[in-house]
Amino acid sequence: MTSVTGQANAPRRPGPARAGTLRNVWQHRADYAYVLPAIVVMLIVIAYPIYYTVDLSFYTTPPSLQLRDKIFVGFDNYQAILTSEVFWRVTWNTLIWTFLSTVLSFALGFATALALHRDFIGRGILRAILIIPWVISAVAASYIWKWIYHSDFGVIGAILVGLGIADRPPNFIDSVGTVLPSLIVVNIWREFPFAMIMIMAGLQTVPDQLLSAAKVDGASAWQRFWHVTFPHLRNVSTVTVLLLAVANFNSFIIPWIMTGGGPSNASHIWITHIYELAFGRQRWGVASAYSVLLFLILMTIGYFYVRALSGDKKKDREA
Amino acid sequence: MARVVLDDLMKSYGNFHAVNHVSLTVEDGEFVALVGPSGCGKTTTLNLVAGLLPITSGDITIGDQVVNDLDPKDRDIAMVFQNYALYPQKSVYKNLAFPLQMRKLPRDEIDRKVKEAARVLDMTHLLERKPRELSGGQQQRVALGRALVRDPAVFLMDEPLSNLDAKLRVQMRSELKRFHHDLQATIIYVTHDQLEAVTMADKMAVMNGGNLQQYDSPAQVFAHPANMFVASFIGSPAMSLIPLEASTVDGNIVLTGAEGWSLPLSSFNSRKIQNAKTRKVVLGARHSTIKLHKTAVSDAVPAKAYTVEPTGDVTFVQAFLSGAIVNISVPPNVDVAPDEQIWLEFDQERMHLFDGETEMAIKAD
Repeated sequence: MTSVTGQANAPRRPGPARAGTLRNVWQHRADYAYVLPAIVVMLIVIAYPIYYTVDLSFYTTPPSLQLRDKIFVGFDNYQAILTSEVFWRVTWNTLIWTFLSTVLSFALGFATALALHRDFIGRGILRAILIIPWVISAVAASYIWKWIYHSDFGVIGAILVGLGIADRPPNFIDSVGTVLPSLIVVNIWREFPFAMIMIMAGLQTVPDQLLSAAKVDGASAWQRFWHVTFPHLRNVSTVTVLLLAVANFNSFIIPWIMTGGGPSNASHIWITHIYELAFGRQRWGVASAYSVLLFLILMTIGYFYVRALSGDKKKDREA
Repeated sequence: MARVVLDDLMKSYGNFHAVNHVSLTVEDGEFVALVGPSGCGKTTTLNLVAGLLPITSGDITIGDQVVNDLDPKDRDIAMVFQNYALYPQKSVYKNLAFPLQMRKLPRDEIDRKVKEAARVLDMTHLLERKPRELSGGQQQRVALGRALVRDPAVFLMDEPLSNLDAKLRVQMRSELKRFHHDLQATIIYVTHDQLEAVTMADKMAVMNGGNLQQYDSPAQVFAHPANMFVASFIGSPAMSLIPLEASTVDGNIVLTGAEGWSLPLSSFNSRKIQNAKTRKVVLGARHSTIKLHKTAVSDAVPAKAYTVEPTGDVTFVQAFLSGAIVNISVPPNVDVAPDEQIWLEFDQERMHLFDGETEMAIKAD
C-alpha cells in the first residue's frame, strides 16, 4: 500500500517545471515586451467585448432602454431563443445559406480556375473581368442586384417576359419561396472569384515534372488531372472551403441590404437576425445570447477543423 | 531496347536556338551522357526525345520509327526526373503500377511486374510506403523502378542524381552503372556534372549554347578535346589554357609568352603549328602533365606561384603564366609558397594546341 502511494506521489513534482517556465519567460522577456502592445490591443478589442457579450446575455433590456438599469434574468434569454420558432427558422436558413454558398461558389471557382489555366487568347482580360465581383464593394453589388431582381424594373424579369418564358416578372426577393435562393445566387456570384484565385494559385504550384512524368507514363489529360492535379489541390481546397464557410456563416451585407431578412424572416440568417434584435429592437440581452451561441458553434466547428488539419500535418511530420 | 537517332535536330524559340542542328546516334544498349553547363540545351534535347516539347525541325528516330509527331506515351520511352516526380499521394506500389495501369495491363500482370521491379531494385519492403516516407536515395530508386516496370526501348534520365547528397550520389552512380550493365538498356542521361558523365557513360555528348561540341567516348573526349570549350569543361581541375604567340627562331618553331620567354616545341607539335592558319595559339595542359621545378631547367618556363592548395594526396598549385592561370599538381612533399618563383615544364606528348581564333584543336595533318 505504501509503495503504491509512494509511486503516485513520486512523479508529481510541478515545482521545478514551473520554475523552468518562469525562467523561460524571464529569459524571453524582451520578446514578450515586443508583443505586449498587440496583446493589450487584442484584450481591449476582442477579449473585453466577448466578456461583455457573455455578461449581457444574462440580462434583459429595461423599459428605460438605459443599459445601466439592465435587469438580470439568468438563462431566460437562452431559453427563449431555443424555444422560439424564429430561432429554428433562422438556423435552418443559415445552414442552407452557408452550405449552398460555400459548395457552389467553390465548385464554380474551381471550374473557372481550371478553364483559365489553359493558355488562350484573351485569358488575361477574362481573368480580370471575373475577379470584378469580388473586388467591388459588397454594398454596391447588393444594390445593383436588388435592381436586377426588382419585380417591376428588374432586368431579369424583363428578359424572362420578353422571351415569353414568364407572363409577368417573378418576385425574386419579395416572395418567401424564392428570396433565399436568389440571395445565395448573388453571394455565389460575389464569392466564386475568391475560390477561383485560390485554385489558380494552387494550380500554378503543381510540379511540371510530375505532369511530365504522368504524360510519359501514358496518362491522358483527364487522368493527369485526376492523378496529379486534383490530389495536389487538396490542401488549398480545404483552406478555401474553410474560409468560405466562415465568411458565409458570418455574412451580413448582402442579405441585410437586399432584404433586411424579409419577407417574414425568410432571408434572415444568424448575423442579420442578431443585428436586428440588437440595433433594430434594442433587445441586447437576447442578441448577446444569440451571439454567444453562434460563438460556441463556430468555435466547435473551428476546433474540429483545426484538429483535422493539424492531424494531417502531424502525419506528414511523423513520416 | 533500341537505337536512337537524332538527325539535324532543331528547337528554336524565335531567334534563339535552344538546340541547334544536333545530330547523334545512340546505339542499342549504349549509355550516352548529354553534358554541358546550365542552359546548354541538354535538357531541352532530352525533352524533345521524350516528346514533352515539339521539335522545330529535324528527325528523331527510336528503333525503326520516326517519332517526331508521336505523344510521349507512344514513344516507348521511360523517364527519370531530377526531383524524382513520384506521385506524392500514391504508395510506392501504386507509383510503380501507374504506368502499367495507364496501359491497361491486367491486374495480375501489373502485380507480377511491380514485384519483379521491386525485387530487382531491392525495395520490396518499401512497397506500402508513401514517397515522403522515403529517403532521397530510396525515392530515386522508386523513380528508377517506375521506369523499369515499363520495359521501355529507351531510358531518359534528367539529372537523376543531382538532388542527392554527395555520398549517396557516388553510391547511386555505381548502382546506375550496374543497372545499365545488367539490363543492357539504352540510356540517355543528362547531367551538368562532367564527372558523372565520364564515370558512367559509354559515350558523352558535350553541348554548349545549343550546339553539340563533341560526341565520343569519355576517354577520347578527355584525351582529344575537339575545342577549347570541351577542354576546359571536361576534367577537374580544369585544363589550363594559356594564350601564346607562335614564331620561328633559327628555323625552329617556338611559342612565346606574354612575359617574353620562349617554349621550343617537339617536331610533332611543330608540325601542328605549321598547319595552323594563325599565329595565335592556345596551349592546353592538364595539371598532371605539367612538371614544377624550383630552379631553372632547360625547356621550362618561368612563372610565379599564386595559391597553394594541399588536398592530402596531391597539392594543387595555381600560377600565373602569360596572363592565364595554370593548375599544376605536385606531390604533397613539394614545398611551394605563394609568390615564389617557379619553372614549369610541359609534357610535349600530352599538351594540346588550339587555334586562338577558331578555338578548335589544331590537328597534326
